[in-house]
Amino acid sequence: MSATLSPLRHVRGFDVVKPLSIATMIAIMLPLVLLPLISIFVFGTNKGLGSFLDALTQPEAIFALKLSLATSFWATVFNVIFGLFAAYVLARYDFWGRNALIVTISLPTAIPTAVAGFALLLLWGPQGTLGRLLEPHGVRLMFTGYAIIMANIFVTFPLAFGVIKPVFDTMSRSLEEASATIGATRWQTFWHVTLPSLRGAIVTGALLTFARAIGEFGSTILVSGNLALKTQTAPLYIFSKFNEGQIEAANAIAIVLALLSFGIFSLLFLARDWLDTE
Amino acid sequence: MLPEESSSIHLSQAGDWVRRAEDPARKEPAASIRAVSKKFKGTVVLEDIDFDVAEGESLVLLGASGSGKTTILRVIAGLEEPDTGRVILHGKDVTELPARERGVGVIFQSYALFPRMTVEKNIGYGLRIRHHKRKEIKETVNSLIELVGLQEHRHKYPSQLSGGQQQRVAIARTLAYKPQVLLFDEPFGALDAQTRVRLRREIHALLKKVNVPAIFITHDQEEALELGDRIAVLNAGRLEQIGTPDEVYNRPETEYVATFLGAANLLLGVINQESVEIGTASIPAREEAERFRDGQAIKLVFRPEDAHLSRTGVLPEGARRLTNGVIEEISFVGAYERLTVRLDLVARQPTEGEPPLYNVAINTAEKRAGIPIIVTRPKPEAAATRLNVNDRVAVGLTSFRVLPNFTLASERSGRVIETKKL
Repeated sequence: MSATLSPLRHVRGFDVVKPLSIATMIAIMLPLVLLPLISIFVFGTNKGLGSFLDALTQPEAIFALKLSLATSFWATVFNVIFGLFAAYVLARYDFWGRNALIVTISLPTAIPTAVAGFALLLLWGPQGTLGRLLEPHGVRLMFTGYAIIMANIFVTFPLAFGVIKPVFDTMSRSLEEASATIGATRWQTFWHVTLPSLRGAIVTGALLTFARAIGEFGSTILVSGNLALKTQTAPLYIFSKFNEGQIEAANAIAIVLALLSFGIFSLLFLARDWLDTE
Repeated sequence: MLPEESSSIHLSQAGDWVRRAEDPARKEPAASIRAVSKKFKGTVVLEDIDFDVAEGESLVLLGASGSGKTTILRVIAGLEEPDTGRVILHGKDVTELPARERGVGVIFQSYALFPRMTVEKNIGYGLRIRHHKRKEIKETVNSLIELVGLQEHRHKYPSQLSGGQQQRVAIARTLAYKPQVLLFDEPFGALDAQTRVRLRREIHALLKKVNVPAIFITHDQEEALELGDRIAVLNAGRLEQIGTPDEVYNRPETEYVATFLGAANLLLGVINQESVEIGTASIPAREEAERFRDGQAIKLVFRPEDAHLSRTGVLPEGARRLTNGVIEEISFVGAYERLTVRLDLVARQPTEGEPPLYNVAINTAEKRAGIPIIVTRPKPEAAATRLNVNDRVAVGLTSFRVLPNFTLASERSGRVIETKKL
């Protein structure tokens, strides 16, 4: 291979390998990533902006979007606070089983989302181990918005923690010690010294969690029951409308989700810069 | 970090927070460390450390890395707990108190300024968390910023300041809450040599002005001599000696202190009535020998600048003649000339059954060649009386210390008694 490439390499002082490699890379990405993304926009707008807006303003569509935003929001709030807390505990204290806990927190990354949803159903469902105890009291978690939040929390569990923990690990202890000797309580130290140093990591963790939660499908479809205007999130709406043959309706929401993801993605890059500047 | 600017601390503008000189009748020490010991994973870090810091005094804890000096500082600050012993600040036992209730100001080696706060916010932090009134905080911060001469930098963040400026912010930040004692952890470690010298003069002057007792930690003997009203020399978790710079430098009590603070020559010998016998040579030492028994094994310690050389054999007044020697090497080290002189001393052949009095090196390879010492002479003296390699000179000492040679003492003492019996 190298024997055939090397004479090509410097044809008239021109490095052939570089443009060739870049072209190959783009050629692979085109049918797999770039073209599908472009086609959502092309397809969504080819019947005019009117039909796109029509599809978007359907009550079911609006509900699905709102539900997705709300459930993702609460899952993000929970996981950022928990991730911060867990990172603090695991970075500051050394105890037996610490590493096992770190692995456990990171475990949901490796679990298929359908399995996650199924597991939640087994525990909290009407026939589930714990759900069975709640049922007589009229408490039902599964097939409600809460179930969607729970599923979102499960699948995005390690994300915020994973971003915040390394920052904790590398943070100089002397800042917190300085604050303590100056006279601050632990809480004051956390609030005035530790937290400000973590703000970049918190924002990054929140965005990652939210981005992951808003697109969650596998676990949500199992625990929510996919009831329109009740427990149907945006990704479930796309799936359902597509099954019903309403391609335009599905596509309109797909465009919104895609744009939302682009937005979050750009924010992530901004947050990373913010994180780096002191 | 920005390059250092030459502005210095303005001492004329001390605010009302400056501690007025204490009532002289009140003799209570500002800080007392009582019998503090600490082990870490079975290793002794501190062993029975005991010292006081007087009001307004600067004490320097001097020691190599691993000597336990940082641990003492952390114990005083409340960042580390001693296994035994007490920490007393202004008469109050604070051993059980957490760091935040001790009112101690720590200037960390890295300064530990809060990166997301401006200079002003950093300095005002101690008052903000104590919920002082906004106006009061502003006034205190203003006077402190003026004191440390950072008026133009008040709205900057720590990363925009030079190392020296950061240090001044760190000091002002602790002064804001009127600390009982200031603790400096290797305060000049992160700075270049020139800045270091300038800053320690500034800090020295500032401390005298604000009259807050301070404890410095350093491994730099020059820094210790300049900053400390007193110096405590630590070695392997033990306090070797505590005293004024003059005492510690000129009258070291242990070999470690003698060699850690500046260069020192060390010769092994025995006390022989009113003189010290070093092998075949002997030097009168009536005063120095007083503390010792006849025949006791000792170490003779002297500084390179206290040794004097003479080709004619006429030594300067006050110098006691030790022996002769041959100049082996001459080099110029800036302000002075540094000579290696091989003394004529030959280890006296131990008599039958007598333990060797001199260390192994002298007993083996250097047995015949004699013992090398280092002598320094200031430039004017070096210019006035030139000396060359291979010159034979008389060697005299103006000042020296006689220290017990403990390792041999036990071995030797038994034999001495035997000899006398004979």
